[in-house]
Amino acid sequence: MLTLAKLFGKSPFAPLQTHMDKVASCIGELPALFEALMSQNMQAIQKTCETISKLEHEADLTKNDIRNHLPKSLFLPVDRGALLEILSLQDALADQAEKIAYHAAMRKLFFLPEMKSDFSLLCTKSIDAFILARKVIQELEELLESSFGGIEAQKVKAMVEQIAFCEYETNLVQNQLLKRFYQDADAMPHPAFHLCLTLIEEISNLACLSEKLGNRVRMLLELK
Amino acid sequence: MAWNIGANDVANAMGTSVGSKALTLRRAVFLAAILEFSGAFFVGSSVSETIQKGIIDFQVFEAEPMIFVLGMMGSLLATGALLQVASYFGLPISTTHAIVGAVIGFGAIVGGLDAIHWNTLGWIASSWILSPLLSGILSYAIFGVIQRKILFALDPIKATQKLTPYFVFLCFTVITLSMLSHGLHLDLPIFTAFLISCCVGFCASLLSRLLLQRKVQPKLQLAEGFSPYQAVSLDKALHHLQRVHLSNHSDSYSQQISQILTQVQTLSETVKKNTPLLHSTHQYQGVEKIFISLQILSACLVAFAHGANDVANAIGPVAAVINVLKTNTLTAHCAVPTWLLVLGGSGIVIGLATWGWRVIETIGQKITELTPTRGFAAEFGAATTILLASKLGLPISTTHALIGAVFGVGMARGLKALNLQMIKEIVISWIVTIPLCALFSICAFYLLKLCFL
Repeated sequence: MLTLAKLFGKSPFAPLQTHMDKVASCIGELPALFEALMSQNMQAIQKTCETISKLEHEADLTKNDIRNHLPKSLFLPVDRGALLEILSLQDALADQAEKIAYHAAMRKLFFLPEMKSDFSLLCTKSIDAFILARKVIQELEELLESSFGGIEAQKVKAMVEQIAFCEYETNLVQNQLLKRFYQDADAMPHPAFHLCLTLIEEISNLACLSEKLGNRVRMLLELK
Repeated sequence: MAWNIGANDVANAMGTSVGSKALTLRRAVFLAAILEFSGAFFVGSSVSETIQKGIIDFQVFEAEPMIFVLGMMGSLLATGALLQVASYFGLPISTTHAIVGAVIGFGAIVGGLDAIHWNTLGWIASSWILSPLLSGILSYAIFGVIQRKILFALDPIKATQKLTPYFVFLCFTVITLSMLSHGLHLDLPIFTAFLISCCVGFCASLLSRLLLQRKVQPKLQLAEGFSPYQAVSLDKALHHLQRVHLSNHSDSYSQQISQILTQVQTLSETVKKNTPLLHSTHQYQGVEKIFISLQILSACLVAFAHGANDVANAIGPVAAVINVLKTNTLTAHCAVPTWLLVLGGSGIVIGLATWGWRVIETIGQKITELTPTRGFAAEFGAATTILLASKLGLPISTTHALIGAVFGVGMARGLKALNLQMIKEIVISWIVTIPLCALFSICAFYLLKLCFL
């Protein structure tokens, strides 16, 4: 009879990965944004900002869809709360990307030439952390297959450690950048100073969120 | 009735194997037919006897055997009708519950409440609750073993190769034991039966080991001399060294310790680079591939068990009727005739051949979640429970046993998403089916009485 077929609910893990893909498309726009920011091309910044905003909205729709289709009667191999936490961390990443875009589009910013290299390093590092976190989420399918243990768990654990290291590197770069930034701060107008500070904070926050996401997934593992 | 069982319920056994592409549809139907038939033929009589004479008391009907005949026919008709209605509306009604309900209904109305063996009925009712639980626990245990020994192993394929013969041993022992201890009328003492079935299981496991060795498995892509165990051990060593490093306060050692620490660190990194931790997907696919044959085995076990238990639903009442018609009296010592078991088995096979394959196909498409490892655990748990119940003469629902088993695997973090509402539906089906079927059977009884008497 079809009773047995009805026993299997709709798995939320594939939609979770789809959501992460959408978040990744958001963050994938950031390099173009940073480039436009460097070359002070306001028009390009505005355009990228709009794209990111649209993509973020799409990701939000997927997120709501997942939340709506997660009844309590669904029995999952992971805690329901953990799944929702992972989802909201992914969502926070998309939000962060959107915020960065909005702040970048606020007004024209200029960077001192010696700060430029550090700034772009910060951007690449934090995006690298995100890419690693995305890879962890992509491993979910295999984790389910191995029921969260064994060599697959070892692999994911190693990946999470990699994210943590990447986040640490990001912090170092951020620190270095901030130091130089404060040294030259006297020359800057107040609004620009504040905006720059916010931007740096937010960009490094991407790495921080990625690390949190990785650690949340790591807590699902059954390691010996 | 037998047709109905064959058409609908066999899919439970074979659906997953077809779904995971372990078997083609044609082969699945063929295998299921053989095993259902032999299950019905060898082990089916026990449960049939329960339905035939375990539920209601004969003494009440001694005066009028024809009433009893009509009643049994009525129950059969009622169950058949109800099942058609239920499958039309898509209600999860179990044949077993329906027939038991029907027999109770007619027995209670005609013979009064005293005519029912409440004791036996209590056993049957508790077995309905216990069977999903037991199969759940069994499959939880089996999947737990698979998890600990195979999925969590650092070299899953090798672990699978090591463990498979044991599983094969278990399957064959269970099936032979159930055949020997009841089916063949050999009347062996239980110990001898156990010994023989262990021997059969052992031979089968030896054979499987040979087969596994002949199959060339994808080997780990290792650099010379590295093993994944080394990486984990080194990790542990590193951990301990760090602890020593942190707790150390004297200067004389600290330099030495940190030297060792860096050495171990570099070594661990080299080993990690050379271990296949980054190619695990491949490994799990290999495991599933080996488990395909085990899943086929367990599906056969389910088909056998299902034949053993469910054939009774169809032929139990018929056996009672035929006995009365033959001797014109009611005797308490009537065995189920062998030809009737053959008939029931054939009915199931015909049902399977004419309609059941379609259901198997549908189920196979819908259940893709039960991969061979999960499927094996669930099916083994369910089949063992059903065979045990058949041995004890308890008619249980195979579907519910299987659902219990699937939940067992789910509890062990084996499945992605399970619908907990099914539990509610099962309980409702327990409560609703019996009175409904009793009502149907009472109606059918009076209708038949009107026609024939």
